[in-house]
Amino acid sequence: MTTLKIENLHVTVADKEILKGVNLIVKTGEIHAIMGPNGTGKSTLSQAIMGHPAYQVTQGSIYLDDKNLSEMSVDERARAGLFLAMQYPSEIQGVTNAEFMRAAINARRDEHNQIDIMTFIRKLDEKRAFLSMTEEMAERYLNEGFSGGEKKRNEILQMMMIEPKIAILDEIDSGLDIDALKVVSRGVNHMRSDDFGTLMITHYQRLLDYIVPDFVHVMMGGRIVKTGGAEMAKKLEDEGYAGLRDELGLDITLTDEDAD
Amino acid sequence: MSKTNELPMPKFTKVRYKAWALDRMTPSNEKTENSYFLSNEQGIEISGISTTYYQLDQELIDQGVILMSVIDAQKKHSELFERLRGQVVFDETDQLTYQNAHQFNTGIFLYIPSHVTVHDVLHLTLNQLATSEADFVARILIYVGDNASVNILQTLNTIGNKVTKASIVVEVIASESSSVQFNSIDALKENTSAYINRQADVRSHAQLDWHNVAFNDGQVVTNLVSQLNGENAISHANVIAITHKKQTQGFVTKVINYGRHSVGHIFQRGVILNRSNLIFNGVGKIIKGAKGSDAQQESRVLMLSRHARGDANPLLLIDENDVTAGHAASVGRIDAEQLYYLMSRGLSEKTARKLVIRGFMGDVLAKMPTKASKQYVIQAIESKLIDEDK
Ligand SMILES: Nc1ncnc2c1ncn2[C@@H]1O[C@H](COP(=O)(O)OP(=O)(O)OP(=O)(O)O)[C@@H](O)[C@H]1O
Ligand SMILES: [Mg+2]
Repeated sequence: MTTLKIENLHVTVADKEILKGVNLIVKTGEIHAIMGPNGTGKSTLSQAIMGHPAYQVTQGSIYLDDKNLSEMSVDERARAGLFLAMQYPSEIQGVTNAEFMRAAINARRDEHNQIDIMTFIRKLDEKRAFLSMTEEMAERYLNEGFSGGEKKRNEILQMMMIEPKIAILDEIDSGLDIDALKVVSRGVNHMRSDDFGTLMITHYQRLLDYIVPDFVHVMMGGRIVKTGGAEMAKKLEDEGYAGLRDELGLDITLTDEDAD
Repeated sequence: MSKTNELPMPKFTKVRYKAWALDRMTPSNEKTENSYFLSNEQGIEISGISTTYYQLDQELIDQGVILMSVIDAQKKHSELFERLRGQVVFDETDQLTYQNAHQFNTGIFLYIPSHVTVHDVLHLTLNQLATSEADFVARILIYVGDNASVNILQTLNTIGNKVTKASIVVEVIASESSSVQFNSIDALKENTSAYINRQADVRSHAQLDWHNVAFNDGQVVTNLVSQLNGENAISHANVIAITHKKQTQGFVTKVINYGRHSVGHIFQRGVILNRSNLIFNGVGKIIKGAKGSDAQQESRVLMLSRHARGDANPLLLIDENDVTAGHAASVGRIDAEQLYYLMSRGLSEKTARKLVIRGFMGDVLAKMPTKASKQYVIQAIESKLIDEDK
């Protein structure tokens, strides 16, 4: 079993403190969801875990089992078993999707035990078909010219190829049509096992109908303010964040306070 | 040689190369028996002033194809050679063309008669022997007849590491309706300062494409020119370059549209490492009367070091209204977000950079005509990156 343990995490971006003491434990075998208003720090949390250089940890710690992530580079964290499906994946001209995924798999293997091309292609074909992606996608440049939905699907394809221990999925459902949402959910559910844990960031309860979480966390003002089960997402959908905030007596201004 | 002083030095905008003293050379007479690169390919290898490898299908010889060193050509086909030489690159253009014309003592002559198709990739390997202090002054002359076609892989290499200079002038005549794929890999070593001038006369309905891999390690200025002299002549001038350590490579890549409906596209991609300099000048020139012609260019430079210097200067000179033309140029740094994205999948920074660079140069890499030449380019990118202290 692998455990991602976040304790009292404070993170600063561009001299502004965004995370103000996050505590969270994600174990393999578990599915967690994080919900919360725009700009509250959800992506910041995921980037800080992955090690994006713009996000500075000023207090607290992130451990993957006994490894202190703060002491590891981005690629070391990835090879230790972390994966981040990004809210806005980069486009990289000239590097094909297939070449990239093979390099990512090989980065986890030692020099004398690189994946052979046939095994790789077989695996890629299988996962690709599972996600209803065309063969041509593999030979296209990494995310270049991909539609929003195609990029999300491609993030899931990479996850299935790399088989991380803990995956953070930042708004993997945004911009997906109904069918694509089902396909992507199928991918995540397929990964579900005792050796895989995930932390999904989402705005929509709908995703959680397809991927039923064990835990739902609500983040507001840079902290996790409430944790519950799958049913909590439904309640949030009905009552909004302002209701929860007032119920908890928190002093936080929400961006879209006056929306309704 | 008195004339040299009256002629100007060639212009390589923004490249300071006077101190390399390329106008003063002493041609080397180094000989060898060794062939260094070719072993069973079609083609010729010239090392110093010696022919060290030669293989050409009997069928091609029977069809009248001539492939030999310029020394042999001057003996066996002197009239033909002298008639063709200096037609594309005029001797008195500038000091360096003049000097090359009067001093070259090695090189390659290729003559392909009309209607002959050379199916295999033809290797033209030119090795500078930098084993004495003398310089390398070479000429390549290629004539491709009407409707003939050929795919060439021309390489420039240095054997030895004495401090020397090199001057290489390549002239190509692509006759009517011919097709020439001219792939070149320039891999002169660190201690060689060089002047390389490749020019083609592209006639009516002919197509000549350059794929020039400029991976020299020393100080080099390169002139690459397509003269689109006939109606519907087409040329794509593609260049990829890497500079590293403290070297400078400067380019003038130029297409001149004389013919109506002629098409000239320049595409340059450069990567700059360490404290090196890379300057791309792209010139598209359309002469009055070249109606319906097209001149496009794109030059992009990627800087991987804070201490590097790079430039991409596009120039369009158009004297005709009825044309299409466009240009794009950029000098950029490797995008930190891209690097982060790649690394978040477990790739080391080194591998990530390598992938980005290889991708950046991918279009020309893909055009390399043999497996070995593709492999060479990939390998060369890696070895230049190894020198990078990061
Ligand atoms: N690279 C950055 N530079 C400057 N500010 C940033 C950066 N990244 C995040 N921020 C700021 O940090 C705050 C939290 O942003 P974050 O992206 O974590 O929010 P989020 O909860 O993911 O929101 P959303 O639901 O809209 O995706 C915002 O105010 C945002 O503007
Ligand atoms: Mg976000």
